[in-house]
This record gives sequence, structure tokens and C-alpha cells, in this order.
Amino acid sequence: MTTMKYTPRQPDTNVNVTPTSPLKDFFVLSGALLAIAVAVFFLLGFAVDFVIPYISQETEKKMFAIFGNMAEKKAAFPEKQRKLQALLDTIQRDCAKLPYEFKVHIKEADTINALAMPGGHIIVFTGLLDKVASENELAYILSHELGHYANRDHLRGLGRALIFMTISAALFGTDSSIGNMVGHGLSISEMSFSRKQEKNADEFGLVMLNCTYGHVGGATDFFFRMSKEKDPGIFGHYFSSHPENQDRINNINLLIKAMGLKKEKLKAF
Amino acid sequence: MDLIIFLILLALGYTAGTIAEKSHYRSIEKRERDLLRLPAITMKRIPYSVGRIQSATMVHGSVVISVDYFKRLLAKLRNIFGGTIKSYESLVDRARREAILRMKEMAGNANIIVNVRIETATIGKNAHRKGVGCIEAIAYGTAVVVKK
Repeated sequence: MTTMKYTPRQPDTNVNVTPTSPLKDFFVLSGALLAIAVAVFFLLGFAVDFVIPYISQETEKKMFAIFGNMAEKKAAFPEKQRKLQALLDTIQRDCAKLPYEFKVHIKEADTINALAMPGGHIIVFTGLLDKVASENELAYILSHELGHYANRDHLRGLGRALIFMTISAALFGTDSSIGNMVGHGLSISEMSFSRKQEKNADEFGLVMLNCTYGHVGGATDFFFRMSKEKDPGIFGHYFSSHPENQDRINNINLLIKAMGLKKEKLKAF
Repeated sequence: MDLIIFLILLALGYTAGTIAEKSHYRSIEKRERDLLRLPAITMKRIPYSVGRIQSATMVHGSVVISVDYFKRLLAKLRNIFGGTIKSYESLVDRARREAILRMKEMAGNANIIVNVRIETATIGKNAHRKGVGCIEAIAYGTAVVVKK
């Protein structure tokens, strides 16, 4: 048997590992993913905007009857709820005249916010009620929410949220780090979208307030007081999706001037 | 808040993973040089006459290496677009070479290891629903001591 000469040596290069920059790879891939997600999100978002005018208020009421059922169960603050409902009914009957049957629900939470849910259900958090000083302030906040109904923002927001959740769940499953990453990227682009909606709702609210009381006193009071309060913290939901308070006050004051409205004495709540 | 935790995990995964990988490669290369005198080959036949063989024993070495958070994310992204998962290549390479080194270390004063085989397996793939993501490489062969 003949033997070969064996010379042990180490290979100079490693063919099994591609020389690559993992950071660059990461940014390229996640950037591409984010771009695709944003594109799909906006395309479908426009589809939602396109469809919404064709959904009648009747259909909306049927589609989202579940919200009413959910909120119906507990009337935690009957006295306050009755007052709020009366105030809302006055605005709706005399001024807004929107094709909805509005119902106010009070929910116990520290959140300083009010929500416009589909089907005409307005949810007011106790955190907001605690901060309000006059009926005019409250009427303005309710009118602002009515503005969302007038522009049907509540459906838009819901439609987009639905699209995002669908994309995220289809791509990565319900609980995943990439889903969260893309979600954060999208919610930043969504924010500017909702700021425009807030401004439109502010304008609508102002007109309603003037119609109800004959003046717009109290419109900026709430935001003024909020802006005086210290740092709302990371969990101040109200502040994250609503335009900066000072910007908002300025904007409302500009509108008041442009429309030639005046401020007068406030009513207590 | 979630985003902050996510970014910290990502940065931690990247730095810790890179440091660990670099030091492991340094150690692998040094030990490979030291053990160069002991050939490990895939041939089944022994290149010596039977009379010269003093002993033949089975030797093996195995290692488990875990993937870091950053590499895992990179691989997940690759899963969407397709292509070679480069971030896992170095992981498998390290595991295979480490396994061979451990096998050689087990062989002690043997002259040659023949019939070397390398196998890989994934471990803890479905533990707690989220994959732990480690790879095991095992190398085994027959260590032969030859009479002088």
C-alpha cells in the first residue's frame, strides 16, 4: 500500500462565511420592509377613505352595534351622564343636526380624553371630567368629537388600524418584534394624519360652540389649563395624538379672529 | 416604551454577539494552529498497515451555540425577502470548527483521526412557543495511535 504525503495546513480564507456588514444588511432589509408596509398602508388607507362616503350612517350603526352593547352594561355615573347627554342633545338638536343618534358613556379612567366610537357612541373619561371647569369647555370638547363624526374620522382611524393589524398579523403573527418595529414606524406617519383631523374637528367644534351659546368663550380654556400643567408623562395619551396644546390654542384663536367670533361669560357645570 | 426596550435588546445583541464571535474566532484559530499536527480526515481506510496500529478509539466533540437577538432579527427579515442568511453562516461555521477542535482535544496523543463525520442539530426549537434558536454541532471519528 502506498501512502500519500500529508501536509497539514490551515486554509487562508473561510469560504463558508460570507464577508458582510450585518448592520448594513439590517438597515437595508428593515428599510425596505418599512417602505413596503408604509406604501401598502397608505394605498389601503386611501381605499378606506374612498369607501367611507358610501357607508351610510344606518349601515355604520348596524356594523358597530357591538360598541353600544359593550358600553350599555354599566352606567357608573348616572347623574353626570344625564347632564352630559342633555348638553350633547342640545348641541345636536339646535346646531350640529348630524344624522346620528348620539349617546354619551362615562368611563372611569385617569385618561384626559374623549373618544368618538362608531355608531354615535361618545366615550368620556372621568379624568377629563375632573379637569373641566365650565359647561362651555365641556360643550366645546363634545362639539369637537361631533366634528370627528361630521368628517367621519372615527371610521377612517378604525379602517387604518384594521389594515395595520391585518398586515402585521399576516406577516409576522400576532406577537412579534418586527411587527412592533413596523408598527412604531407607521404610527409616526399616522400621527400627522390625525393632526389634520384634529384641526378640522376643532374648527367644527368652534362653530357649534358659537351656535349653542352665541359666543365661543371657554374654547381654549381647557387646553390652556392643560398646557400649564407639568409634564404629562409618557402615558399622557391625549397629548401624543393631539396637536401640541399651545399650537392648538394659537390655531383656535386664529380661527376665532378669522370668523369674527367673540368670547363672553361662561356657564358653570 | 416598547421601542426603547426593543432598541436596547438590539444594541445589546449586536455588541455582545460581535464581541463573543470575535473572541471565539481568535480562540478557534489559535487552537487550530496548535492541533495542526493531528490530522482529522474523512477517509474510512487507515493509511497504515494493520500491524502498526496500537489502538483505535472513538472520539467525539460537541458544542451548542446560541444565536443573539440581532442575528435572529436579521434572519427573520431575510425570511421575508429570501436569500442567503449570512448572519447564521458564521454561527454554523463556529459550531463545526469548535466541535472538531473538541474532538481533537479528546483524541489526546493519537496520530490521526479517520472517518470523521460532522452533524448538526437544532435545539430548543419550540420551547415556550418562541424558538430559543441554538445549534448543536457534533463531530466524531476514530482516533488511531500508531506504533513507532
